[in-house]
Amino acid sequence: MNFVFALVFLLSGAMFLVRDPEGFLPALLSGGEKAAALSLALLASYCVWLGFFRVLEETGLAGKLSRALFPAAKRLFRSDDREALTLACENLSANFLGLPGAPTPLGKRAVEKFCAAKNGYAADVLFVLNATSVQLLPTTVIALRAAAGSSSPADILLPTLLSTLISTLLGLLFLRLLSPKRGKFA
Amino acid sequence: MKYAALVIPVLFLALFVYAAVRRVKLYDCFTDGVKGAIPLVLSLFPYLAAVLMLSELFEGSGLSALLTEAISPALRAVGVPPEIAKLLLVKPFSGSGSTALLSEIFSVHGADSYIGRCAAVCYGSSETVFYISAVYFAGIRRKTPAKAIAVSLLANLLGAVFGCLFCRFL
Repeated sequence: MNFVFALVFLLSGAMFLVRDPEGFLPALLSGGEKAAALSLALLASYCVWLGFFRVLEETGLAGKLSRALFPAAKRLFRSDDREALTLACENLSANFLGLPGAPTPLGKRAVEKFCAAKNGYAADVLFVLNATSVQLLPTTVIALRAAAGSSSPADILLPTLLSTLISTLLGLLFLRLLSPKRGKFA
Repeated sequence: MKYAALVIPVLFLALFVYAAVRRVKLYDCFTDGVKGAIPLVLSLFPYLAAVLMLSELFEGSGLSALLTEAISPALRAVGVPPEIAKLLLVKPFSGSGSTALLSEIFSVHGADSYIGRCAAVCYGSSETVFYISAVYFAGIRRKTPAKAIAVSLLANLLGAVFGCLFCRFL
């Protein structure tokens, strides 16, 4: 990320310098403004979902869910850490249901736990699953198409589902090919 | 789409009824969960700010337009309309930016056109990879997950290529 950040920043900065030096600072400020606004929006959604998931844990339902998914998750993540695997399973379930904002706090805690256990491979797997996530119900797209006067806004459901399935499977496959057998701390 | 609206309220009510039956102290428990929200946002904030500033620079400098021109012949060769190249380029950086692009494509080409449907599928099938990596790996002392990011970007791109293909006959 250090490399990407430096590269994109320097290239864009140089272009600003040549084309529009006065636009440089406003662009940075507008990024900062968006970060502030987004943080507030995230805070609101984390309040709702972290409360929800704490209740879910306390009822014991989260444990039941993870016990059902445990054998599969153990192999997928090459990990034995029950707590981290529970979080990862909850993250994936929330992703699959398309609950807006719910997967992130779970995924972040799971990644922290995996990294603390020096299991970089598991963190990578969870990241790839989130970054190529399977879309059951792309609500934003359907709403936008309806607003643009589409005759059947939901008719992209099947191609979207198929193409996200492909990207998730390819992502996992590439990661497996690129990772040494014993999930080393990369 | 009416049933989709029921998912979240039903989920909450079902959980809270179940929790009440199991004699969970709902108020104490819920507030205990919310306690984690502020530290979480605080830990994210610097990374969010950096990524969003970067995406503003990328967009505003014209670098994204330049790259779009550079990659669109290659994308055309694999069946992705050139109008969508920009969407594919912006999506990894910015969710709101790509949403704006998507509605622009809908208003120019129509939501039911081949290009409109391709754009919808490409938008739905790719994720804001850099943003997710900023959030997930914020504050973790570990070498940059470059491998995971590269793999995700490539997988999403290939997913988009297949998505455009599916749009031809689905």
